[in-house]
Amino acid sequence: MGSAMGSQTMGLGSVDATARINRGSWGESLFRSACFGAATFLLVALGGIMLALFVGGWPAFHKFGFGFFFSTAWDVNNDVYGAAVPIFGTIASALISLMIALPLAIGVAVFLTEFCPRVLAQPISTVIDLLAGIPSIVYGMWGFFVFAPLIANHIQLPLESAFDPDSFWGKFFAGVPNGNLLIASVVLAIMILPYMSSVFRELMLSVPASVREAAYGLGCTTFEVVRSVMLPYIRRGMIGGTMLGLGRALGETMAVTFVIGNAHNFPSSLFDATSTIASTIANEFAEASGMRAAALIAMGLVLFLITFVVLAIARLLLRSQKF
Amino acid sequence: MTMNEPLSSASSCDDEPQYMAPPPEENIVLRARKLNFYYGTSQALHEVDLPVEKNKVTALIGPSGCGKSTLLRALNQIYALYPKQRAEGEIIFDGQDVLGGKVRVDSLRERVGMVFQKPTPFPMSIYDNVAFGVRLYHKKSKAQMDELVETSLKRAALWDEVKDKLNALGTGLSGGQQQRLCVARGIAVEPEVLLLDEPASALDPISTAKLEETLTQLKKDITIVIVTHNLQQAARLSDYTGFMFLGKMIEFGPTGALFSTPKSQRTRDYVTGRFG
Repeated sequence: MGSAMGSQTMGLGSVDATARINRGSWGESLFRSACFGAATFLLVALGGIMLALFVGGWPAFHKFGFGFFFSTAWDVNNDVYGAAVPIFGTIASALISLMIALPLAIGVAVFLTEFCPRVLAQPISTVIDLLAGIPSIVYGMWGFFVFAPLIANHIQLPLESAFDPDSFWGKFFAGVPNGNLLIASVVLAIMILPYMSSVFRELMLSVPASVREAAYGLGCTTFEVVRSVMLPYIRRGMIGGTMLGLGRALGETMAVTFVIGNAHNFPSSLFDATSTIASTIANEFAEASGMRAAALIAMGLVLFLITFVVLAIARLLLRSQKF
Repeated sequence: MTMNEPLSSASSCDDEPQYMAPPPEENIVLRARKLNFYYGTSQALHEVDLPVEKNKVTALIGPSGCGKSTLLRALNQIYALYPKQRAEGEIIFDGQDVLGGKVRVDSLRERVGMVFQKPTPFPMSIYDNVAFGVRLYHKKSKAQMDELVETSLKRAALWDEVKDKLNALGTGLSGGQQQRLCVARGIAVEPEVLLLDEPASALDPISTAKLEETLTQLKKDITIVIVTHNLQQAARLSDYTGFMFLGKMIEFGPTGALFSTPKSQRTRDYVTGRFG
């Protein structure tokens, strides 16, 4: 390409017609196939990963059949495995974290675009973007050493002992102090918050000034402008931003492994220990072989598919949005 | 929108503002007095006076950057959305100085509505667009709201075109229809004053004619202030016209007189097309 560019800059008069046509034909087709190769590489890699997961997990699918997805068993001695608990834990922790993060992210974005003095808005959004870059293991350690004891000692344990163990609230607050579903969800929420709020902020900034002015011009308060005009205006992108957060929460491994308790049981309360697909794989892969490894790989495929379905649903929702 | 600083320094304007036959004092519903306006450090309006007579159309004309849109945006405080913009002087509406900080901007803007240069339908149905402002202030039954939406759309000369698709998105209408939808939305809250910032500049001639027809009808009930680049439009529509240049009100008076026998040389040059 370099020499071809050179001959072009020499001036049109000095280059004969055939040379120019040659340059166009083979240079262009090389360029085109390079781009095509780059694009297909991604698809091939994706297909390869999926295939490898399927082949690796096949023994588990073959032995346990559909029951694999619904069984809560995780019996290493008898080599019987089921994915129901980690699947539930994955989805539950991701959804709870979204419930926490979504209102916060909207609040952050609204504050930054509507209320924050301009001198502060830029530094604050830079800090939020930096938060997204903190390695997840740091969040995990913070959750384990700082946040979990804080919640346990000051909220969960006092409340648990304050109620009769058999009463509704007694059961509600019963659980494992140092690693449980709620703590994992809160840590996840903090982790996905920067992503979501920075997407939401960009979206809110993209609302045309004229539309904002028109709403204010009718006598709207800021709350009314945000609720009735800005949020509907960016609804489409907000679903995308939320799905981005959900996707990250579903697959997050390190931080969750620290704080979810890693118990292979259905959580009986928000404060009970459980596990996610990613945390189970991370915990057990080193010592797994045979059927156990197959079960883990099969769960990896399940995680892959869940994430895929989430994105597909997002696309579907986006398509049904008219604006 | 910003003023051209080098130009304004060259405006050692010889003459005092000319006010011919201003409206009778008791009919003035909205008035700017000695209004100075700043975008940051650059001054966009200099000691501007503007009397607006009730149920008349007041047009503001002048070359780009003369401050006519700025003046309009000061009247309902829409500039206050932007921290760097500020106004000094007085804007008297209903006996109160709205710059004094005692008037709530949201209730001011309910009474002094605005239609912008570009159509700004909200991302919702045609019906909801019109009902939007009303819902902020009044609880109305479905039947009352239906009636109000219909009346507003009729007054904005849009009803016949949209009556069968009130649930379709407002953003899906043509540009001219969108602008009339914005007018309908603006008048549905029954403002006392409606400010229009070059409302026809993005419209084709037929839509413009319909919009002008609408405004002529509206002035029976509503006081209108319109900024326009189109001198014929100002002449056709308005009762009073203000000519602005470089942030100053050069001349203000009854439209007929201002166009036929302007006092200021600059006004004469502008309305006869010698510059601008």
